[in-house]
Amino acid sequence: MNEELFEILKKGVIDGDVENCLKSIKKGLDSGVSGEDILVKGLIPGINIVGKLYSEGEYYLPELLMSGKVMEESIRIFDPFLSKKGGERAGKFIMGSVKGDIHDIGKNIVIMMLKGNGWEVKDLGVDVPPEIFCEEVKNGNYDILGISTLLTITMPNAEKTINAIKQAGLRDKIKIMIGGAPVTKEFADKIGADEFATDAWEGLTKAQRLLIKK
Amino acid sequence: MKMTGTERVLTALAKKEPDRVPHMEIIIDPKVQQAILPGVSYEDFLDHMDIDGHVIFDKIYAWKYETVDEGRGIVRDQWGALTQFGSERLGHPIDRAIKTEKDLDAYVCPDADEEWRYDALKKWIKRFKGKKAIFAHVTDVFDIARESFLGDVAYYQAMIEKPELVDRVNQIVLEYNLKSIKNQIELGADALTITGDFAVTKGPMVSPKHTGRFLTPATKKQVELGHKMGVPVFKHTDGNLWKIMDLLIDTGIDGLHPIDPNAGMDLADVRNKYPNLCLMGNVDCAATLSWKSVEEVRQEVKSCIKKAGYGGGYICMSSNSIHSGVKPENYVAMINAIREFGKYPLELA
Repeated sequence: MNEELFEILKKGVIDGDVENCLKSIKKGLDSGVSGEDILVKGLIPGINIVGKLYSEGEYYLPELLMSGKVMEESIRIFDPFLSKKGGERAGKFIMGSVKGDIHDIGKNIVIMMLKGNGWEVKDLGVDVPPEIFCEEVKNGNYDILGISTLLTITMPNAEKTINAIKQAGLRDKIKIMIGGAPVTKEFADKIGADEFATDAWEGLTKAQRLLIKK
Repeated sequence: MKMTGTERVLTALAKKEPDRVPHMEIIIDPKVQQAILPGVSYEDFLDHMDIDGHVIFDKIYAWKYETVDEGRGIVRDQWGALTQFGSERLGHPIDRAIKTEKDLDAYVCPDADEEWRYDALKKWIKRFKGKKAIFAHVTDVFDIARESFLGDVAYYQAMIEKPELVDRVNQIVLEYNLKSIKNQIELGADALTITGDFAVTKGPMVSPKHTGRFLTPATKKQVELGHKMGVPVFKHTDGNLWKIMDLLIDTGIDGLHPIDPNAGMDLADVRNKYPNLCLMGNVDCAATLSWKSVEEVRQEVKSCIKKAGYGGGYICMSSNSIHSGVKPENYVAMINAIREFGKYPLELA
């Protein structure tokens, strides 16, 4: 019976069916299914499939964001359970859009995927100067820094951010990922990032890999 | 015989061969323009560089803004959205105008008939009518309805949850745009530009089904009005458009810009599949115009003209705009290369 519930939840996330998911979660909890199981065996597999479908061009922003809405409304119920996900250790991620870039939807989708997979995420917002990134890395205890840049014109600020972190002697403290539509491996290597991603699913999977290597 | 810029551009949009491949841009950043010709006005710059057309961009010339925080470059746009300006000429909304349906019930749409909106257009027509192609312009309905009205997340979610809300917001913007288009063409614009991205590097922002349901119908109505009033129309959208190309063609557009080279849009491939479409753009402004060499710019222009110029129907432009990161010498090299390689009949090895 639990397996059936998990399938319903997984499908609810994939279909972006908020009402049915929340109803099923309450039903599951009432019948003694653990909150952790509901999250780890039902919801998270759903959002991961959604992320993959988005990456493969089967799902688009409306579908991704509706699934995100399901996770968001469900996460409100499961907040205490977001410290771990399945057998993989979740980490601490800090993220922002570089100075001059005020686009945030790509960044916000990555954050949604990370949180849905048990990561703790601090969102620095948009138009973040290198010195703020530096200060946050210095004062926090993060595993990964995510730098988002959607505009070609602001890509140099990603390099300035990484250079500022190096100059502050913080480079070995944190892994750095750079993301955004115009980002390439060539650019990421040139500026000294550890990884790059061009969509949320790629960002999540590479972040998980970086965490294992750390 | 040497054509005027107007003749050149309109000939290319009609998918015929002009005297040479036309060149124009949707936006040329003032910093680049001033670096090439310091102290010269934008109008004089277009004349001196013999650029064939100009777009009277609505967000720059015809929208109202109210300053909210001058230090941070934050204004409220005419739709009610908070918009932030950075280093480029166009700002980006950071907070939407409509947060609840009650906001929409009480909403008062800007008035497209206010005369001041057309002051810039009248000035350009007075100076350049018959010499350079003057483009009327509207930002597409999807762009405004999503960014300024509902915000990205709410708009995308409403496409699935509340399609009637999307229809309602789209209709408000469409009615404004249609009035604006009519006014601009009546004042003498030679052609119409509709800008607003439908795709990103990897593909369309929304599915083909949603593109056909919510995006292209409004574009089509704007194109139809342009045609009814006797002018050709081109659509600008970045990104990989392959999955929605047929939908775009179905709107009736005469031209498409920029045929994004970094998003898998090859000029030759588009030309082969859509022989009756005027192709515009494709000279890479992300890398080539920004940091590659003058010779690389020259070769890329040559390649673009070779792929799309034969038979006419190509306007050589950047792959988005001459933004502030473009090297001035590279933009000059681009224009020079268009003159070098773009004379009809083309003879490119």
